[in-house]
Amino acid sequence: MSATRSVRLMGIGKVLSLLSGALLALGLAGCMGGKAAREPVFWPPDPNPPRVQFLKGVSGSKDVTTASSVKLLSLNNDDDEGPKMIAKPYGVAFSKGKFYVVDTIQNNIAIFDLVKETFEILPNKGRGKLKKPINLTIASNNGNLFVADSFRKEILEYDEMGNFVKAYGKELEMKPVDVAVDDNKIYALDISHSEIKVIDRASGEPAGVIGKAVEGQEGLALPTNLSMDKDGFLYVTNSGTGKVVKLDRDGHIVHAFGKLGDSFGEFGRPRGITVDDKGRILVADASHQNVQIFNETGRILMFFGDPGYVYESLNLPAGVTTISSNLDYFQKLAAPGFILEEVIVVTNQFGPTKVSFYGLGQMKDFKGYESITPAEKEKGGAAGQKK
Amino acid sequence: MKMLAFVPFALAALLLTSAGNARGDSCVTSACHVEISKIAVPHAPVKDGDCASCHNAVSKEHPIKGGKSFQLAAKGGALCTGCHDGLATKKLVHAPVKGGECVACHKPHGSSGRFLLEKGDDQNPLCTGCHDQATFQQRFMHGPAAVGSCTECHDPHQSQEKALLKQPVRDLCLRCHSDFNNQLKSAAFQHPPVKKDPCTTCHDPHGSGVPMFLVKKMPDLCISCHTAIGKKITDAKVVHKPIKSEAGCSACHSSHFSKAKGLLAFPEMETCLSCHGQDKPGMKNISKEIAKKKYLHGPIKNGQCRACHDPHGSNYFRMLGGNYPETLYAPYKDGLYDACLKCHEKNLLRFADTTIYTKFRNGNRNLHYVHVVNSRKGRTCRVCHAPHASNGEKLMHVDGVEFGEWKIPVNFTITATGGSCAPGCHRPLAYDRDKPQEYSTNKAK
Repeated sequence: MSATRSVRLMGIGKVLSLLSGALLALGLAGCMGGKAAREPVFWPPDPNPPRVQFLKGVSGSKDVTTASSVKLLSLNNDDDEGPKMIAKPYGVAFSKGKFYVVDTIQNNIAIFDLVKETFEILPNKGRGKLKKPINLTIASNNGNLFVADSFRKEILEYDEMGNFVKAYGKELEMKPVDVAVDDNKIYALDISHSEIKVIDRASGEPAGVIGKAVEGQEGLALPTNLSMDKDGFLYVTNSGTGKVVKLDRDGHIVHAFGKLGDSFGEFGRPRGITVDDKGRILVADASHQNVQIFNETGRILMFFGDPGYVYESLNLPAGVTTISSNLDYFQKLAAPGFILEEVIVVTNQFGPTKVSFYGLGQMKDFKGYESITPAEKEKGGAAGQKK
Repeated sequence: MKMLAFVPFALAALLLTSAGNARGDSCVTSACHVEISKIAVPHAPVKDGDCASCHNAVSKEHPIKGGKSFQLAAKGGALCTGCHDGLATKKLVHAPVKGGECVACHKPHGSSGRFLLEKGDDQNPLCTGCHDQATFQQRFMHGPAAVGSCTECHDPHQSQEKALLKQPVRDLCLRCHSDFNNQLKSAAFQHPPVKKDPCTTCHDPHGSGVPMFLVKKMPDLCISCHTAIGKKITDAKVVHKPIKSEAGCSACHSSHFSKAKGLLAFPEMETCLSCHGQDKPGMKNISKEIAKKKYLHGPIKNGQCRACHDPHGSNYFRMLGGNYPETLYAPYKDGLYDACLKCHEKNLLRFADTTIYTKFRNGNRNLHYVHVVNSRKGRTCRVCHAPHASNGEKLMHVDGVEFGEWKIPVNFTITATGGSCAPGCHRPLAYDRDKPQEYSTNKAK
């Protein structure tokens, strides 16, 4: 599971003579915090046709805005602070042009808009103060933010302005690590009981428990992350079994795939999960340090982000989400001729890049895998298409 | 006196000249070479009596018994090219021309027809003197080949094109089939080979044992390119009957061009109903079944029969595109109802309780599950729903479902939160999603 930068064939002597220079350049690039112009980094590696390109990294307000201070969200708070860093991110969500990233060290939520170049911090005060936020989601009906806080053992709701609205589930004695919502219900992933607590949004009352094992069917096992697709199905990663479990909102397990292991389609420590608009399932793995992409039946399509680069590789990846509309900003970051279909956002708990942006797409002139002739495959011709 | 002295010399010279160069007026007489005078269309030199342009005297004596007093002025084709232009300049030359065997086809003195050809307008006897006669005696013949107009398409001497054709194949065909070409150009859908390939890809230009002198019978011809369809036809338990008929694929498809997608003769449903919309033994009249119905199955509303049925062949009941029970009762198991569930909710029959997959439920109790996932008597979809059209909402049977000689009434009604059913299957029962009905009593609610 490794990737290589696009490299043209050259003489060994020439390669050796360039090696020292390249190492120096790489070191400098690392020191420059990723701002130096780079060769595009693609996955899968040569000679495969490129499908995923690293586009950008964000590790703090300086990567988003040139403003010297960062505003706290909410009309009630106009405190300005200096430049902000994201220390140790986990959950990530996207809504209306804004990225929401949970910081599990600073116990807050960074909210930034790359196009408008704004970087804000969710107010962290009073009844809405976060103790150990892990994951979050945005309600599609009103844009409110729901955060799973494993120390407070609650799900916390904030409105679009960042005002605290409500806390849910104190009485449930759960340890929530992730949350999903639909128009009526909150689904809190409880790692301590390996189940999903369902809470009524309107009343805040418990509305059931799902995800438990039933006769003949394995339930959730040390579940870490949860995601809801556009059809309302819930997807859970389980570090206990290495399985991705798909449930309906009634709690029926409709599909499960994967197992613990280090082969393709298997998981070491599966973490963030999301389902894109086309039904593809993306799973971040903190052990393999990559994101694996599956089709809706659980068949692996590809993986990316595996170690090999200082800046572009994933480093203890945690949360993952995708964006498939208004990609103009990101298209400008893509290599010439590489057309983006969607952008995949992954958080890294360590390393120089805390939030990595990858473009999923293909070269403009790529006509599909079946168009690659055997001769081209032998010559690595498909890779040539990315040059 | 001086003049008289020259007479013997002049006579001698005249005699010598007549022996060296044959003159027509002396060659063709009532006693000699009389058959040449009867030729209807004589070769120009013959007509002019210029025998010596081809024949040279080699002996003073003529005729010589058992010998020759004349020989041809040149050998083989060289004799002809003295007057006619050479005909061996192009890429392909007819073998007799190449070998200088002009007389293999032409009569040198003249003939009954044009071009010194003996057989008249029907060139078949002439050409089949060398070429295989069987080619021109097929059951279905191309017009020019049938009447022996070989030279309509072929140049008898030489050509740049294969088979001595006068033009590239497509151009040659469209020279006559211009009307076809005009229709092809304006058609919405064109069969790609017709658009660009030689017509001989599919047709034998002389004739064959297959209608429209195709090179192979249908569907063999079509599946030589459409291999996936060929595999389906080979593997399918049931092949759509027209495919095996003489019309073959063209029973439904227009081979050259069409106004309809899929090169169908008409839009999809119209094509299907051209057979399935008639009262034929062993076939339901689907036109009657859907006529004036308030509710049509979604695909039918869109004119699509093949959303459910495979028009070429299938391993499934009613040539459906997926599994569906042939028997009226068949308890649900994974895969058995694929034909319906490939579009309808896949989890419809998987769970006894649901709030998601169906509105046909009493509280959370999935009543589809109750009806179909019944190990003793699982009712198939068609027990309650009409597959094509109905006047009942949800395509529920209104006039009753056929059950042998009886039509079982259904009497289904819908309310805002549920509905009821008073069928010939069980006592009248209601269901409600919000306020579940209690079924343990004998009273219908």
